[in-house]
Amino acid sequence: MTIVEHLAHRELTLVTGKGGVGKSVVAAALGRLLADGGHDTLLLEVDPRETLHELTDTPPSGGEVVRVSSHLRLQHVPPREVIEATVRDHLKVDLLVKRVTGSPVFAHFVEAAPGIDSLAVLGHAWRIHEGMGGRSLAGVDTIVLDAPASGHGLSMLGAPAAVAEVIDSGPFGEMAGRLRGFVADPARLALVVVTHAEEMPVTETLELVAGLGARLDRSPDLVVVNGVYPEYESHGLPEAAARLWRERRRMNERELARLTRYWKGPLAVVPLLALDRGPALVAEISRHLAGVPAPDPEAAHAR
Amino acid sequence: MLDDRRFIVTVGSGGVGKTTLAAALALESAQRGFRTLVMTFDPSLRLKDTLGVGEAARLADVRVDTDTRAPLHASLLDARTTFDRLIERYAPDEAAARRILENRFYAQLSGTLSGVLEYMAVERLFEVAASDAYDRVVLDTPPTRQALDFLEAPARLTGFLDSGALRIALKPWFDERGRLGKVRRLGPLGRGIEAFLDKVVGLGLLRDMAEFFQAFAPLYEGFRTRAGEVGALLRSAATGFLLVTRPEEDRVAETLFFARRLGDAGHHLDALAVNMRHPEVTTRPGRRTGVAGEALMTWLGDRDRRGLDRFRALVTGTRVLDLPLMPEEPADLVSLDALRQRLVDAWA
Repeated sequence: MTIVEHLAHRELTLVTGKGGVGKSVVAAALGRLLADGGHDTLLLEVDPRETLHELTDTPPSGGEVVRVSSHLRLQHVPPREVIEATVRDHLKVDLLVKRVTGSPVFAHFVEAAPGIDSLAVLGHAWRIHEGMGGRSLAGVDTIVLDAPASGHGLSMLGAPAAVAEVIDSGPFGEMAGRLRGFVADPARLALVVVTHAEEMPVTETLELVAGLGARLDRSPDLVVVNGVYPEYESHGLPEAAARLWRERRRMNERELARLTRYWKGPLAVVPLLALDRGPALVAEISRHLAGVPAPDPEAAHAR
Repeated sequence: MLDDRRFIVTVGSGGVGKTTLAAALALESAQRGFRTLVMTFDPSLRLKDTLGVGEAARLADVRVDTDTRAPLHASLLDARTTFDRLIERYAPDEAAARRILENRFYAQLSGTLSGVLEYMAVERLFEVAASDAYDRVVLDTPPTRQALDFLEAPARLTGFLDSGALRIALKPWFDERGRLGKVRRLGPLGRGIEAFLDKVVGLGLLRDMAEFFQAFAPLYEGFRTRAGEVGALLRSAATGFLLVTRPEEDRVAETLFFARRLGDAGHHLDALAVNMRHPEVTTRPGRRTGVAGEALMTWLGDRDRRGLDRFRALVTGTRVLDLPLMPEEPADLVSLDALRQRLVDAWA
């Protein structure tokens, strides 16, 4: 089984990684592969600044669902809107909703309550699968979430437990309780970690793998090492460029070795490509991800 | 910048090499004879090793083992440690400090509330500004998705503390058994809040929040005053900003936007560092070898050259520094010194 077939059977694939490692491009590539396989896929973006549409060659979503191809849809949803939608579902009376979401207490609650943004985003995905996403999101088989760049994926997956700890009733408390099971279930939620073969990103990836094991008793479904310099073979480059290439490659190899010493699960190594950020880069990266084998259900990957 | 600014702040989004450049700048500053402190948030292991600062630097400034003309110190900023320390210092008594530190909401807040880390950075800057232990401070800022977050954070945090949330929290919501009591007496907001409490938030969190704000109230005035003073310090001629970015095309819009915002807010942007540029392959390879890697390196060099040219064309009135991509982050003081030299050369 390939990783794409594996992800197709999950309700949500969370793509996480530090800023600048190509997380969005990998999310777009996975969305494209899933859609090519005939699975109705939703690419979900939550970063306040919308950029995924540049990778799918579609107009900005602005919160609406945009159709990319026959099996691929795209939506940009800022967490705050999802939070308000949750309140709306619960209170039902419009006037009351306005009063609550418009009150300074609510604004500060949203700002301060730990993990509420992450919870809302996971909740949005969960609602879509429960058929609560409205007509434009009906029939979605699987969702690929381009997770916010800040922090680890761990803080996102840990959000339901963190929220459940401080909020014990009301819609957010209930949602946190339900989502706690959802994020812990490898049959429902998959995690893809994108990294570079450099010291900081590799260290953070290994910390994430360890943290996932310790706190949620699970491990990533795929680690993508992006932007790796090709093997050195130069015949006529000027010395500065040749030397940089040789040494960057050597560093990439060293960090890849450090990663794979601890990470034995599915791994995709994507070379640095001579392409600007855009649909052509997405197409090329999907080619590198297509054949990666799915996680072995018997193996314990971490450590 | 290195002659007349007492405070230098490096800003930029994640992954642009800001922390390493801050360290190199600080090294140059010490080399020029200024007693210098570099404050950084999340240095790589390598940089920590390079500076020779371990976990001890979270608690106190650590002397970097260099033979620069003036001493160089480094400190690591950690939101929780700094926040705890601040509360211990400014709380009216030990019992008040303990009430805050043991509050469940505080435990969550100090780690997750956006702005805490940034606010703490300016608090530390304020502390250092008040002392004369250093001639210069280089402040690295936390990695943010958008560099703007850093400057807006203190206002956001004091706004949060300043808000209705504080005033409302100070009202006697809860009776002595910890149950929601006199909410109906809160006036016009009362009914909305009651519905809000019951249906949306859940009482446990609110109770913790109310306790936190009550405990925090005596410290609050000081926080707000200092945030205002630090704001003024960051806009004064004592402080210069170094904006760090990379030459990729998709960084241009964000970087220019930030540069403009810095200026609009009254800050002094001394330089824009376009960091990690691939070398240009000007002489074509002698023969066509068909090696894909050579084509890639040529493409990368062209791409970064284009980006640098765009920055140069679009940024007016600010020095643009062209800094090459290094094979690795500095692993020791010798390679940090090499970076320092490149920075000095780029400046000249």
